[in-house]
Amino acid sequence: MKVSRLEQAIVALNARQMASDNDSHIAGIDPRALLVVTLIYMIAMLSVPVHSVGMLIWFAVYPIVTAPLAHVAYERVFRDSLYVLPLVVVIGIFNPIYDRATAFMVGDVAVSRGWVSFVSVVIRGLLSVQAVLLLIRVCGFNRMCEAMRRLGVPRVLVTQLLMVYRYLTVLLQETLTMHRARTARAWGKTSYGPSMWGPFVGQLMLRTFERARCIGMAMRARGFDGSLLVSRPSRWATADTVYCMVWIPVIAAMRFADLSGIMLHLFRV
Amino acid sequence: MHMADALVSPAVAAVTGAAAVALIAVAATKVKKIRRDDIVPLMGVMGAFVFAAQMINFTIPGTGSSGHVIGGVLLSAVLGPWAGFLTLCSVLIIQCLVFADGGLLALGCNILNMAATSCLLAYPLIFRPIARHSFKPGRLIGAAVAASVVALEVGALGVTAETELSGITALPTSTFLAFMLPIHLVIGAIEGVATGAVLCFIAKYRPETLCVYSHSATTGKSSRKMMVAFIIAAAVLAGAFTWIASAYPDGLEWSVEKASGLTDLPSMVAPTAVMPDYNSTFAGIIGATIVMIMLWAITTLLFHRTRATQHKTVKK
Repeated sequence: MKVSRLEQAIVALNARQMASDNDSHIAGIDPRALLVVTLIYMIAMLSVPVHSVGMLIWFAVYPIVTAPLAHVAYERVFRDSLYVLPLVVVIGIFNPIYDRATAFMVGDVAVSRGWVSFVSVVIRGLLSVQAVLLLIRVCGFNRMCEAMRRLGVPRVLVTQLLMVYRYLTVLLQETLTMHRARTARAWGKTSYGPSMWGPFVGQLMLRTFERARCIGMAMRARGFDGSLLVSRPSRWATADTVYCMVWIPVIAAMRFADLSGIMLHLFRV
Repeated sequence: MHMADALVSPAVAAVTGAAAVALIAVAATKVKKIRRDDIVPLMGVMGAFVFAAQMINFTIPGTGSSGHVIGGVLLSAVLGPWAGFLTLCSVLIIQCLVFADGGLLALGCNILNMAATSCLLAYPLIFRPIARHSFKPGRLIGAAVAASVVALEVGALGVTAETELSGITALPTSTFLAFMLPIHLVIGAIEGVATGAVLCFIAKYRPETLCVYSHSATTGKSSRKMMVAFIIAAAVLAGAFTWIASAYPDGLEWSVEKASGLTDLPSMVAPTAVMPDYNSTFAGIIGATIVMIMLWAITTLLFHRTRATQHKTVKK
């Protein structure tokens, strides 16, 4: 039986929620430290000139090392990051067509700058997604929201994020129930025509209003003051400083030092 | 239309991120002033609704393909432009963080291209003047189509500008635009019909829930204020982007030039005897790849060992 996008989304969401509750080596690190290191990593990685593929490959150190620390196989993170591939390939595939100047020679074969930049775009896409996947895997969404609030993100946005995340599974389940009910009565017809789609989503929206009304009443009855409790706020510890002090110089070395040149120099015969 | 991190440079991400943060701060202030008891739970559940509605594709007659609603105009029609904007921002953030759909650094671009264009540009300036206070399906669908087309076209223009200014693609701007604009014209029309269909249903059964008819109906004066604000924001962004695209060296190059006095820095790569026939660029790529594979192998071995130790402990 074909799995619908709804079922895929519910499975993915459940997987994310379960995965974040791990007891990995870096699970205790303050989410602010993880967020700061991830942002520095991404800024450094994306600032690498588009034709410097050699420098870019060194940035794979971060996900390769962080994945095992987060108790997840790097192969899995890599596989999950392939999701972004179609988009970056669509944008990057024009580079070999428009930029045909020779970048370097491999024997008698000339490799164009367009192909180099295409590979560069693909690597950037994969590494940035891997960094985000690992960040959320280690932190979990609720702790991430807590970090955002403590970093100065408006309270109303953080509350909104928590509300959406909390009711995402509920509404996806409700939509799936409606979808299954419709499919069971559709005599094998799986698609939604324009005349069917409007009332279907409209019905879902009416149910949403009703649910929001009930939630609103329940929240007010419990003394809701405009913000949701996230979790016990974590304190910045020595381990968090050490985590930053280890990664920031490593990232700086990947960005500013010519590691490929150093390695070639060391291994020259 | 979600932009990935690979398509933006840090400078473009910084400018768009700053603009998005400013808009979010304004939206947060505006939402606090909304006198509606159920606004917080309604925004939260509506965000989840948009997410769920995006999973239900509708067939596009005569093409064999399907599409789904994006939700900016729909959210604004129910919640108002600022609350709709904030709700769509939360959906984009969750899509980025939980589903890795759209990049973390590209979040500013995505918020401007999708949320700001539909909720703060197309809704107040296109949808509301056309829809006015009418319940007629034709007027609602017409307003939704016009607003969605404008939102998608401006968003597509934004994607093109941000990618070109980032220097990621070799595709000429005119060719890029020729790809993006017609596709998004069609997508916008389809999105508009879908949005209009839902709005017609809601207008028929629960008209009081639509913001355009009831809560905080904004006058033409505030629409004009919003237009002026947009023109100023566009001018500021254009100025910032011009700075990014300037011919001057970037910060790193500038500081190295200042420190060393050199404008054309020599390569620091030493000649190699391992692959003497190959260019150092290629050798660097191969060398870095080998190191990464070795690192992957080592960490995988360590990881499996840790897992094996844990399993043994559990068995004991």
